[in-house]
Amino acid sequence: MGDRKNIAIVLFFVFMIFPLYASTANVLSDEAKVCLTCHSHREMYKILENKEVLPLYIDKDEFANSVHSSIGCNGCHTGYLAAHVQKKKQIKNKKEYSVNASRVCSMCHPDDQLKKIPIHSSVITKAVCVECHGSHNIKKMAEWKKGITEIQYCLTCHRHALSMALSSGEALSLSINESAYKSSVHGSLLCSSCHTGFSTTKHPVRTFKNKKEYSALATKSCSMCHSDEQLRKSPVHSSLLAKAACVECHGSHSIKGIAAQKASAPETQYCLSCHKGKLSMSFKSGESVSVFVDDLSLRSSVHGKLRCTECHAEFSKSKHPVRVFKDRRDYSITISDMCGRCHSDANTKYGGSIHLSLLKSGNLTAPACTDCHGFHSVTKAGKDLGLASCNKCHSDMKNSYEASVHNRARMQGKKDAPVCSSCHHAHDVQSTKMTAGIKDACLACHKNALDTHKKWLYNPPITLQSFSELHFNTVACAACHAPDAGRGIYLNLYDRKTGKPYPEEELLKLLETDTTGLKSKIDINNDGSIDSAEAWNLFQYLFTKGVITYFIGKMDVSNATEAHQIADKTKAVKDCGVCHNPDSPFFKNVFIVIRKADGRPIVLNAKQEVLGKTLKSVYTILPLRKFYVLGSTNQKLFDILFIIALIGGIAVPIGHISLRIITSPLRSLRRMGKGGKKK
Amino acid sequence: MKKIYLHPLPIRIWHWINAGAFIVLIVTGAQIRFSNVMHLFSFETAVKIHSWTGFILIANYFIWFLYYLLTLKIKIYIPPLNHPIEFLKKSIQQAKFYGFGIMVGDHNPHHSTPDHKFNPMQQVSYLMIMALLIPLQLITGLLLWDPKLFSPFVNLVGGIQIVDIVHVLLWIFFSAFIIVHFYLATLGHTTFAHIIAMFSGYEEEEEEEAQGEHGH
Repeated sequence: MGDRKNIAIVLFFVFMIFPLYASTANVLSDEAKVCLTCHSHREMYKILENKEVLPLYIDKDEFANSVHSSIGCNGCHTGYLAAHVQKKKQIKNKKEYSVNASRVCSMCHPDDQLKKIPIHSSVITKAVCVECHGSHNIKKMAEWKKGITEIQYCLTCHRHALSMALSSGEALSLSINESAYKSSVHGSLLCSSCHTGFSTTKHPVRTFKNKKEYSALATKSCSMCHSDEQLRKSPVHSSLLAKAACVECHGSHSIKGIAAQKASAPETQYCLSCHKGKLSMSFKSGESVSVFVDDLSLRSSVHGKLRCTECHAEFSKSKHPVRVFKDRRDYSITISDMCGRCHSDANTKYGGSIHLSLLKSGNLTAPACTDCHGFHSVTKAGKDLGLASCNKCHSDMKNSYEASVHNRARMQGKKDAPVCSSCHHAHDVQSTKMTAGIKDACLACHKNALDTHKKWLYNPPITLQSFSELHFNTVACAACHAPDAGRGIYLNLYDRKTGKPYPEEELLKLLETDTTGLKSKIDINNDGSIDSAEAWNLFQYLFTKGVITYFIGKMDVSNATEAHQIADKTKAVKDCGVCHNPDSPFFKNVFIVIRKADGRPIVLNAKQEVLGKTLKSVYTILPLRKFYVLGSTNQKLFDILFIIALIGGIAVPIGHISLRIITSPLRSLRRMGKGGKKK
Repeated sequence: MKKIYLHPLPIRIWHWINAGAFIVLIVTGAQIRFSNVMHLFSFETAVKIHSWTGFILIANYFIWFLYYLLTLKIKIYIPPLNHPIEFLKKSIQQAKFYGFGIMVGDHNPHHSTPDHKFNPMQQVSYLMIMALLIPLQLITGLLLWDPKLFSPFVNLVGGIQIVDIVHVLLWIFFSAFIIVHFYLATLGHTTFAHIIAMFSGYEEEEEEEAQGEHGH
């Protein structure tokens, strides 16, 4: 009933109003006249499902002048009249409507025909007819072109969201913001001024491998007006000319001019106008590094609210010095210096680290700030950062750490479970080869370690902490707590005068050699291992030069990787006899350690006899006068003396008794008064 | 036979504690040093016994020291330095006795009395042992007991290795000495005379021909 009523109302309205309207538009078909009865009213519109407003107004004059004026509405809107009277047509959005409307075009303009025009064939699957050509106001092309400017002509299509598919799979946007273009410094130029191959009559179809290729071509257009000579006056241009495309920094259709750009853009945005592009910097070595800054990761970094110049202090909107670096590493190190401006505490600590020492000594793989923290995407430093960063270089430690009780605790979610930086520190990373630092790191968490050890590691009858401390000072925690690790005795050369390790630098001067010659100067017979006599020779030589030295021995794991595999404490070495035994395997690997002034060790192999064991070991009594381990470093000489003393001690009574037995007849005779002298 | 009260009770107590402690220390010392070939105790047990006994020995030393100092009897250890020639002659005489006279049935030239307990050879050796060697052994033992606690003293003598060498050399000396000492103790007028005297305090001496060969 409702539909019939609606139809009756529409028909009444159409037939009552139509005669009045028909008299004014004779060129239109009767059918069109009927439709325009309603659709010539500007109030006609439809709210689509996505709430877009679709105007249903048709300018009757424009339609009357269009190429399609003679076609009745039903010619395109097939069967629509009946349909839109009977029930409301559901339309999701304008795009869907345009696509459907454009399908109608192909009823008269088949694809085969359209593809004869090259530009059509490239857009035919992407664009809809009505976006470029319009709908009810389409004129003959030649006539239409006459009435519009080149810019209008180009924008007819390019104002829409067109894009070009590149071979690389990238999509190159061909859309142009008309108002941005018109207000740009190039707003008064014709499109063909830059796009020389194009005009209102020419639109070659081109293909590009990728955006870079397209940008390079675009740059050529720029250079028609902006010559290289002119550009080179700006130093930063000069370094970029061969590598970067103009459009990467300056954009394309909305260029406002540098002055305007500087004035309007906040500093960071100004910097990013170039650095958001895939720029790179070349070094003398031939290497290059990306100077691209990802805006999003910069914003989400801990430095997201900083201006660029707060770090890059030598740069500003008006200054962009062109710097020259030796190589990629030189660049990283220099960049890292910037961090110290704010992070002075971390920087001071880093200044004393093994990492910086290595860097200074020429080891370019040693890390600077950016190697761990990154450049622009610096996140808040957490435990995971340490693990990931350290593993970049120290990947050999990864497996043993992961098998350790520490990592198991971490995996169980224990907050205090240590990661690399917990023990080695984040910035003042030290060489851990027998440093007190690593022990302190253990004790930082295991605060009661001394008390715990004191319960069993004591010397009766009095339980003193000093006895545990003695072991703590001499034995690395890992030597007992990484039960599967190999151990070694490290004899560090000390200077009596300073009470500190005798620096390699001083030693080299006295030995008149360099680091590479040090080993052969000490290991005189060049058998790859320092024996007792050679250790004595070193001691004696230094003594003659006025330097009194001694060796301090410490026990450590001989393999840093294994040192990380700290086991459950029930598996730790607890039997004193394991170490305090002449045959202890822990005393088989002996090393002499000479330390550089910054603490880095130079580890030289030594023979076990240096510690004791053989008669030759007497050589090292004086050099090793401050190192002795009960039962483990016995001097062979004294063992032999003990045996001789025992034999002597027994031999004296036996000899004396024997003589007394032999001489007993004499005494008997004397007692009987038959010879022998009387007293 | 007359009996001379040669060994007062404090000295007898000191002596036997000293003797026992010395044997224990020598044996446990050997166990500590040779734990690869000796298996009387574990290293840990040997160290515990050694340490306990060491402290007993230190305390015991003070019994001896205080007794002789307070009673002023310490002078029996002091050779008569005002008569060196006579002392030297007596020493040679004593040595000749042990080396020769004892074989042919000579009587011991020395007759022990409470004021002249030691013959000249004993006097020299016991003075050295009691005034120098035992204190040195006790001190080095104490330093080795906790080298960290006593590090200033350890460093004063050059280092722990030096302390250990002194301790070990004295251990070697005392090991040999205690055997010879025990043998000499059997050279009384009977094999056990001196040993019994060290329990009873009374040394037996023949009325006419005193035979106290070994007073201590």
